[in-house]
Amino acid sequence: MTKGVKICLAAIITVFLAAVIITAVMSLRTGRNMAVIEQNGEILYRIDLDKEEDREFTVTSPDGGWNTIRIQGGTICVSEADCPDKTCVRTGLLRNEGSPIVCLPHKLIIRFADENGG
Amino acid sequence: MKTKRLAELSLLTAAALVVFIVELRLPDLSSVPGVKLGLANIFTVYAVYRFSGRETLLMVLSRVLLGALFSSNFSAVLYSLAGALLCLAGMLLLRKVIPQHFMWLCSIIGAMLHNTGQMAVAVAQMRTLTPLMWYPKLIIAGCIAGLFTGLCAQHVVDRLAPGNKRKADKK
Repeated sequence: MTKGVKICLAAIITVFLAAVIITAVMSLRTGRNMAVIEQNGEILYRIDLDKEEDREFTVTSPDGGWNTIRIQGGTICVSEADCPDKTCVRTGLLRNEGSPIVCLPHKLIIRFADENGG
Repeated sequence: MKTKRLAELSLLTAAALVVFIVELRLPDLSSVPGVKLGLANIFTVYAVYRFSGRETLLMVLSRVLLGALFSSNFSAVLYSLAGALLCLAGMLLLRKVIPQHFMWLCSIIGAMLHNTGQMAVAVAQMRTLTPLMWYPKLIIAGCIAGLFTGLCAQHVVDRLAPGNKRKADKK
Protein backbone atom coordinates (compact mmCIF):
# COMPACT_ATOMS: atom_id res chain seq x y z
CA MET A 1 0.00 0.00 0.00
CA THR A 2 1.61 3.20 -1.14
CA LYS A 3 1.28 6.57 0.52
CA GLY A 4 -1.05 7.85 -2.20
CA VAL A 5 -3.44 4.95 -1.67
CA LYS A 6 -3.53 5.60 2.07
CA ILE A 7 -4.30 9.28 1.59
CA CYS A 8 -7.09 8.48 -0.89
CA LEU A 9 -8.59 5.86 1.41
CA ALA A 10 -8.53 8.27 4.36
CA ALA A 11 -10.13 11.01 2.24
CA ILE A 12 -12.91 8.70 1.09
CA ILE A 13 -13.70 7.53 4.62
CA THR A 14 -13.74 11.10 5.94
CA VAL A 15 -16.06 12.38 3.21
CA PHE A 16 -18.32 9.34 3.53
CA LEU A 17 -18.69 9.70 7.30
CA ALA A 18 -19.31 13.45 6.97
CA ALA A 19 -22.06 12.77 4.43
CA VAL A 20 -23.67 10.15 6.68
CA ILE A 21 -23.68 12.52 9.65
CA ILE A 22 -25.11 15.43 7.64
CA THR A 23 -27.84 13.19 6.20
CA ALA A 24 -28.76 11.92 9.66
CA VAL A 25 -28.91 15.45 11.10
CA MET A 26 -31.01 16.69 8.19
CA SER A 27 -33.57 13.91 8.44
CA LEU A 28 -33.92 14.47 12.19
CA ARG A 29 -34.65 18.16 11.85
CA THR A 30 -38.34 18.84 11.45
CA GLY A 31 -39.22 22.50 11.45
CA ARG A 32 -42.60 24.09 10.98
CA ASN A 33 -44.87 22.52 8.45
CA MET A 34 -44.20 25.22 5.85
CA ALA A 35 -43.59 24.08 2.31
CA VAL A 36 -42.04 26.13 -0.46
CA ILE A 37 -42.55 25.50 -4.15
CA GLU A 38 -39.87 27.01 -6.33
CA GLN A 39 -39.12 26.99 -10.00
CA ASN A 40 -36.09 28.40 -11.82
CA GLY A 41 -34.80 29.62 -8.48
CA GLU A 42 -37.89 31.73 -7.77
CA ILE A 43 -40.35 30.95 -5.02
CA LEU A 44 -43.80 30.47 -6.54
CA TYR A 45 -45.79 29.45 -3.48
CA ARG A 46 -45.27 29.37 0.24
CA ILE A 47 -47.76 27.03 1.85
CA ASP A 48 -48.58 26.40 5.49
CA LEU A 49 -49.49 22.74 5.25
CA ASP A 50 -51.28 22.70 8.61
CA LYS A 51 -53.75 25.38 7.54
CA GLU A 52 -54.06 24.62 3.85
CA GLU A 53 -57.22 22.84 2.77
CA ASP A 54 -57.04 19.80 0.51
CA ARG A 55 -56.67 20.78 -3.12
CA GLU A 56 -54.86 20.10 -6.36
CA PHE A 57 -53.28 22.62 -8.66
CA THR A 58 -51.01 22.63 -11.66
CA VAL A 59 -47.71 24.43 -12.07
CA THR A 60 -46.63 25.00 -15.65
CA SER A 61 -42.99 25.35 -16.56
CA PRO A 62 -41.86 28.21 -18.86
CA ASP A 63 -40.45 25.58 -21.23
CA GLY A 64 -43.89 24.02 -21.52
CA GLY A 65 -44.61 21.08 -19.28
CA TRP A 66 -46.58 20.78 -16.10
CA ASN A 67 -46.68 19.22 -12.65
CA THR A 68 -49.87 18.70 -10.71
CA ILE A 69 -49.36 19.20 -7.00
CA ARG A 70 -51.71 17.68 -4.45
CA ILE A 71 -52.14 18.93 -0.90
CA GLN A 72 -54.02 16.52 1.32
CA GLY A 73 -54.34 16.37 5.10
CA GLY A 74 -51.19 18.39 5.75
CA THR A 75 -49.07 16.53 3.21
CA ILE A 76 -47.85 17.59 -0.20
CA CYS A 77 -46.84 15.59 -3.24
CA VAL A 78 -46.67 15.73 -7.02
CA SER A 79 -49.57 13.62 -8.21
CA GLU A 80 -49.03 13.88 -11.95
CA ALA A 81 -46.47 15.33 -14.34
CA ASP A 82 -45.55 15.17 -18.00
CA CYS A 83 -41.79 15.05 -17.47
CA PRO A 84 -39.84 12.18 -19.03
CA ASP A 85 -38.47 10.62 -15.84
CA LYS A 86 -41.39 11.01 -13.37
CA THR A 87 -38.95 11.15 -10.46
CA CYS A 88 -41.09 13.85 -8.85
CA VAL A 89 -44.19 11.65 -8.86
CA ARG A 90 -42.38 8.60 -7.55
CA THR A 91 -40.82 10.53 -4.68
CA GLY A 92 -44.26 10.58 -3.08
CA LEU A 93 -44.94 12.76 -0.06
CA LEU A 94 -42.57 15.46 1.13
CA ARG A 95 -41.14 13.95 4.32
CA ASN A 96 -38.11 15.81 5.59
CA GLU A 97 -35.70 18.58 4.81
CA GLY A 98 -33.09 16.23 3.44
CA SER A 99 -35.26 14.91 0.63
CA PRO A 100 -37.06 17.60 -1.33
CA ILE A 101 -39.34 16.68 -4.21
CA VAL A 102 -37.55 17.55 -7.40
CA CYS A 103 -38.42 17.65 -11.07
CA LEU A 104 -35.15 18.28 -12.88
CA PRO A 105 -36.64 18.63 -16.39
CA HIS A 106 -39.08 21.33 -15.21
CA LYS A 107 -36.65 22.85 -12.69
CA LEU A 108 -39.26 22.51 -9.96
CA ILE A 109 -38.49 21.95 -6.29
CA ILE A 110 -40.86 21.41 -3.38
CA ARG A 111 -39.16 21.58 0.00
CA PHE A 112 -39.71 22.57 3.60
CA ALA A 113 -38.98 26.21 4.38
CA ASP A 114 -35.80 27.24 6.19
CA GLU A 115 -35.80 28.56 9.73
CA ASN A 116 -35.82 32.16 8.51
CA GLY A 117 -38.80 31.48 6.31
CA GLY A 118 -36.82 31.51 3.04
CA MET B 1 -4.74 4.90 -33.71
CA LYS B 2 -4.05 1.26 -34.47
CA THR B 3 -7.01 -0.66 -35.87
CA LYS B 4 -6.87 -3.16 -33.05
CA ARG B 5 -7.04 -0.41 -30.43
CA LEU B 6 -9.91 1.21 -32.26
CA ALA B 7 -11.84 -2.05 -32.40
CA GLU B 8 -11.24 -2.68 -28.71
CA LEU B 9 -12.45 0.80 -27.82
CA SER B 10 -15.54 0.46 -29.99
CA LEU B 11 -16.35 -2.87 -28.41
CA LEU B 12 -16.03 -1.36 -24.94
CA THR B 13 -18.23 1.59 -25.92
CA ALA B 14 -20.88 -0.74 -27.35
CA ALA B 15 -20.85 -2.93 -24.25
CA ALA B 16 -21.08 0.13 -21.99
CA LEU B 17 -24.04 1.40 -24.01
CA VAL B 18 -25.88 -1.89 -23.72
CA VAL B 19 -25.36 -1.95 -19.97
CA PHE B 20 -26.40 1.71 -19.76
CA ILE B 21 -29.66 1.06 -21.59
CA VAL B 22 -30.48 -2.08 -19.63
CA GLU B 23 -29.91 -0.14 -16.42
CA LEU B 24 -32.37 2.54 -17.54
CA ARG B 25 -35.07 -0.11 -17.56
CA LEU B 26 -34.49 -0.97 -13.91
CA PRO B 27 -36.64 0.89 -11.39
CA ASP B 28 -35.08 3.84 -9.58
CA LEU B 29 -33.19 2.93 -6.44
CA SER B 30 -34.07 6.11 -4.61
CA SER B 31 -36.22 9.19 -4.91
CA VAL B 32 -33.11 11.33 -5.02
CA PRO B 33 -32.43 12.22 -8.65
CA GLY B 34 -29.09 10.94 -9.89
CA VAL B 35 -28.82 7.97 -7.56
CA LYS B 36 -28.04 4.88 -9.58
CA LEU B 37 -25.43 2.18 -9.81
CA GLY B 38 -23.89 3.58 -12.96
CA LEU B 39 -22.90 0.19 -14.32
CA ALA B 40 -21.51 1.79 -17.48
CA ASN B 41 -18.83 3.24 -15.24
CA ILE B 42 -17.27 -0.23 -15.01
CA PHE B 43 -16.09 0.24 -18.58
CA THR B 44 -14.78 3.73 -17.90
CA VAL B 45 -12.75 2.56 -14.90
CA TYR B 46 -11.43 -0.33 -16.94
CA ALA B 47 -10.49 1.96 -19.83
CA VAL B 48 -8.77 4.46 -17.53
CA TYR B 49 -6.28 1.78 -16.51
CA ARG B 50 -5.92 0.06 -19.89
CA PHE B 51 -5.97 2.91 -22.41
CA SER B 52 -4.50 6.38 -22.80
CA GLY B 53 -6.34 9.43 -21.53
CA ARG B 54 -7.22 10.55 -25.05
CA GLU B 55 -8.68 7.16 -25.97
CA THR B 56 -10.71 6.98 -22.78
CA LEU B 57 -12.06 10.48 -23.31
CA LEU B 58 -13.15 9.48 -26.81
CA MET B 59 -14.91 6.42 -25.45
CA VAL B 60 -16.67 8.28 -22.64
CA LEU B 61 -17.83 11.09 -24.92
CA SER B 62 -19.31 8.71 -27.48
CA ARG B 63 -20.99 6.69 -24.74
CA VAL B 64 -22.63 9.73 -23.14
CA LEU B 65 -23.79 11.23 -26.44
CA LEU B 66 -25.02 7.94 -27.93
CA GLY B 67 -26.61 7.03 -24.60
CA ALA B 68 -28.62 10.26 -24.67
CA LEU B 69 -29.59 9.52 -28.26
CA PHE B 70 -30.72 5.96 -27.51
CA SER B 71 -32.59 6.82 -24.33
CA SER B 72 -34.05 9.97 -25.98
CA ASN B 73 -33.59 11.82 -22.72
CA PHE B 74 -31.79 14.96 -23.82
CA SER B 75 -32.67 16.94 -20.72
CA ALA B 76 -30.26 14.66 -18.89
CA VAL B 77 -27.33 15.00 -21.29
CA LEU B 78 -25.81 18.03 -19.54
CA TYR B 79 -25.92 16.18 -16.23
CA SER B 80 -24.27 13.05 -17.57
CA LEU B 81 -21.71 15.03 -19.55
CA ALA B 82 -20.62 17.17 -16.59
CA GLY B 83 -20.55 14.13 -14.32
CA ALA B 84 -18.68 11.91 -16.75
CA LEU B 85 -16.05 14.50 -17.64
CA LEU B 86 -15.31 15.48 -14.04
CA CYS B 87 -15.17 11.81 -13.08
CA LEU B 88 -12.82 11.03 -15.96
CA ALA B 89 -10.53 13.97 -15.24
CA GLY B 90 -10.27 12.92 -11.61
CA MET B 91 -9.59 9.28 -12.39
CA LEU B 92 -6.95 10.11 -15.04
CA LEU B 93 -5.10 12.15 -12.43
CA LEU B 94 -5.55 9.49 -9.76
CA ARG B 95 -4.25 6.64 -11.85
CA LYS B 96 -0.77 8.11 -11.44
CA VAL B 97 -1.16 7.87 -7.65
CA ILE B 98 -3.25 4.73 -7.27
CA PRO B 99 -1.74 1.52 -8.65
CA GLN B 100 -3.81 -0.85 -10.72
CA HIS B 101 -4.54 -3.30 -7.93
CA PHE B 102 -6.32 -0.54 -6.04
CA MET B 103 -8.37 0.73 -8.96
CA TRP B 104 -11.62 0.33 -6.99
CA LEU B 105 -10.45 3.23 -4.83
CA CYS B 106 -10.06 5.32 -7.94
CA SER B 107 -13.59 4.32 -8.93
CA ILE B 108 -15.08 5.49 -5.62
CA ILE B 109 -13.51 8.92 -5.95
CA GLY B 110 -14.60 8.99 -9.59
CA ALA B 111 -18.20 8.27 -8.60
CA MET B 112 -18.16 11.03 -6.00
CA LEU B 113 -16.73 13.44 -8.59
CA HIS B 114 -19.43 12.33 -11.03
CA ASN B 115 -22.11 13.26 -8.53
CA THR B 116 -20.32 16.53 -7.80
CA GLY B 117 -20.44 17.42 -11.49
CA GLN B 118 -24.14 16.65 -11.65
CA MET B 119 -24.72 18.71 -8.55
CA ALA B 120 -22.93 21.67 -10.14
CA VAL B 121 -25.18 21.44 -13.22
CA ALA B 122 -28.29 21.15 -11.03
CA VAL B 123 -27.33 24.28 -9.09
CA ALA B 124 -26.56 26.16 -12.32
CA GLN B 125 -29.73 25.05 -14.07
CA MET B 126 -32.14 25.60 -11.22
CA ARG B 127 -30.45 28.86 -10.18
CA THR B 128 -30.81 27.99 -6.52
CA LEU B 129 -28.70 26.24 -3.93
CA THR B 130 -31.56 23.95 -2.92
CA PRO B 131 -30.14 20.92 -4.79
CA LEU B 132 -27.24 20.95 -2.31
CA MET B 133 -29.71 19.50 0.21
CA TRP B 134 -29.37 16.10 -1.35
CA TYR B 135 -25.64 16.36 -2.02
CA PRO B 136 -24.72 14.32 1.11
CA LYS B 137 -27.07 11.56 0.00
CA LEU B 138 -25.51 11.56 -3.47
CA ILE B 139 -22.05 11.25 -1.93
CA ILE B 140 -23.13 8.22 0.13
CA ALA B 141 -24.75 6.63 -2.91
CA GLY B 142 -21.67 7.47 -4.98
CA CYS B 143 -19.37 5.71 -2.52
CA ILE B 144 -21.42 2.54 -2.62
CA ALA B 145 -21.98 2.56 -6.38
CA GLY B 146 -18.34 3.47 -7.03
CA LEU B 147 -17.12 0.63 -4.83
CA PHE B 148 -19.36 -1.83 -6.66
CA THR B 149 -18.44 -0.75 -10.19
CA GLY B 150 -14.79 -0.42 -9.17
CA LEU B 151 -14.67 -3.99 -7.86
CA CYS B 152 -16.31 -5.22 -11.06
CA ALA B 153 -13.64 -3.50 -13.17
CA GLN B 154 -10.97 -4.76 -10.78
CA HIS B 155 -11.98 -8.36 -11.31
CA VAL B 156 -12.04 -7.92 -15.08
CA VAL B 157 -8.57 -6.41 -15.14
CA ASP B 158 -7.19 -9.08 -12.80
CA ARG B 159 -8.32 -11.74 -15.22
CA LEU B 160 -7.41 -9.99 -18.46
CA ALA B 161 -4.03 -8.61 -17.47
CA PRO B 162 -2.14 -11.36 -15.68
CA GLY B 163 1.09 -9.41 -16.27
CA ASN B 164 -0.04 -6.91 -13.66
CA LYS B 165 -1.15 -9.50 -11.19
CA ARG B 166 -2.61 -8.08 -8.04
CA LYS B 167 -0.59 -8.62 -4.92
CA ALA B 168 -2.48 -10.29 -2.12
CA ASP B 169 -5.19 -7.99 -0.81
CA LYS B 170 -3.58 -6.32 2.12
CA LYS B 171 -5.64 -3.62 3.71
